[in-house]
Amino acid sequence: MIVAENVEKRFGDMPVLKRVNLTVAPGEVVTILGASGSGKSTLIRCINGLEQLSGGRITVDGHDVSTKAGLVAARRASATVFQLFNLYPHMTALGNITLAPIEVLKLPKAEAEARGRALLERVGLSAHADAYPQQLSGGQRQRVGICRALAMQPRYLLLDEVTSALDPEMTGDVLRILAELAADGTTMVFVTHEIEFARHISSRIVFLEQGELIVDLPTADFFAEEGGLAVPRIRQFLSKLKKD
Amino acid sequence: MRYADFTPYDIVLLLQGLGVTLALFVGTTVIGLLLGLLLAVVHHYRVPGCRPVIVVVTEALKNSPVLVQLFLVFFGIPAFLHVRMTPVEAATLTISLNTAAFAFVIFRSGIESIEREQIEAAEVFGLSRARILRLIIAPQAAAFAVGPLIGILVNQLQVTSLISVIGVFDLTKIGNILNLRTLQPFIVWAVIGLIYYTAAKTLAHFGGRIEAALRKSAQWGGI
Ligand SMILES: Nc1ncnc2c1ncn2[C@@H]1O[C@H](COP(=O)(O)OP(=O)(O)O)[C@@H](O)[C@H]1O
Ligand SMILES: [Mg+2]
Repeated sequence: MIVAENVEKRFGDMPVLKRVNLTVAPGEVVTILGASGSGKSTLIRCINGLEQLSGGRITVDGHDVSTKAGLVAARRASATVFQLFNLYPHMTALGNITLAPIEVLKLPKAEAEARGRALLERVGLSAHADAYPQQLSGGQRQRVGICRALAMQPRYLLLDEVTSALDPEMTGDVLRILAELAADGTTMVFVTHEIEFARHISSRIVFLEQGELIVDLPTADFFAEEGGLAVPRIRQFLSKLKKD
Repeated sequence: MRYADFTPYDIVLLLQGLGVTLALFVGTTVIGLLLGLLLAVVHHYRVPGCRPVIVVVTEALKNSPVLVQLFLVFFGIPAFLHVRMTPVEAATLTISLNTAAFAFVIFRSGIESIEREQIEAAEVFGLSRARILRLIIAPQAAAFAVGPLIGILVNQLQVTSLISVIGVFDLTKIGNILNLRTLQPFIVWAVIGLIYYTAAKTLAHFGGRIEAALRKSAQWGGI
């Protein structure tokens, strides 16, 4: 379980997250919605320890990310897929995927590579195992990014706008993979603007507004007239997304 | 045969001079590159208090004449610290530091050329700092740095000729001796120049091959 309690984050004296509470239980897909700049990425970066909290507490399976040992354990439990892929450009697709399993999980190389190849096959990239990131399209790179995360066999998958940098055709490829993962019961914290997709796969939707988590509802309730849609800010946000 | 004539033994002299020059060059290159790398790593990890010192010292080394640095080390340090220093020690120290200053700048930009995002990715996947340095930063920084480093080293090879001034018997000093004896400056300095030229070209040639090999093994066209 990922538990965020009264999480505060300030950059300098600018508050970016304000007393955010969020719980993600195993098996859930929780989508974080919110306008650009509302703090979605910052929240993800607090969970994976790339930002230090200014206040409050985050635990992943009970491991406090603000302690050194806790962060190591929390990072073992989760894996992140990044908006801009963040692949290692000097390593092949397979090299990107096997690096952490070999170096961190201490898997034998052959086993890590077998696992990596199986994942590449699953996302339709078996032919590209030896390609460098520069030789791949954006959609292919992001699929490698997903494989890299899955190779760690994480209990939680953190996804920050993983399709925002892709054109629509490639977005479809990536979303199909995520839908499969969700159907398999993978726990995900999912930041996206793909509203229809989120509606389709999420168990819960939360809404961030200028650093405050103002709504946290089961998906059906979020899209109900008397639920999320009753909040003017959300109605406005959704109609603006439809227009774009 | 007159005293002023060239003799076959002069070739031995030239080779000895070349040997001293090359030995000094190789020694100072090894020390300079290692020291420059260490400085770049210390700088990268923001070891408290080190950044400004490193930057000020390397800037001073890069922007003042090597000859002045050599005099400061050879005459200044013994006078100031009351220690003895041989010409070879002074030459080694000075050129090593000078090479380190240039290497530092190149390694530093090599490290800085690596996008933060990759390092963050490696962090969240649980890689330690040491592993990130070795597996993510070093290979990319090396591919970035090798070209500029070879340029610097070709230049440093020429710079070693300055050490003849404080009495190291390098190639240039041998040139001086031959010149005084034969009074044939045109021939002597043309030959000396040609030897430096050949050495520099050879260095550049092998440097270029290393660079090509590095780039080939790392086909990621982005750098
Ligand atoms: N490293 C940082 N330093 C200063 N301000 C930052 C930093 N990262 C994010 N911010 C600010 O925090 C706010 C929230 O950013 P972010 O979490 O990226 O929003 P979102 O992902 O919802 O678009 C923005 O105003 C952004 O400018
Ligand atoms: Mg964002």
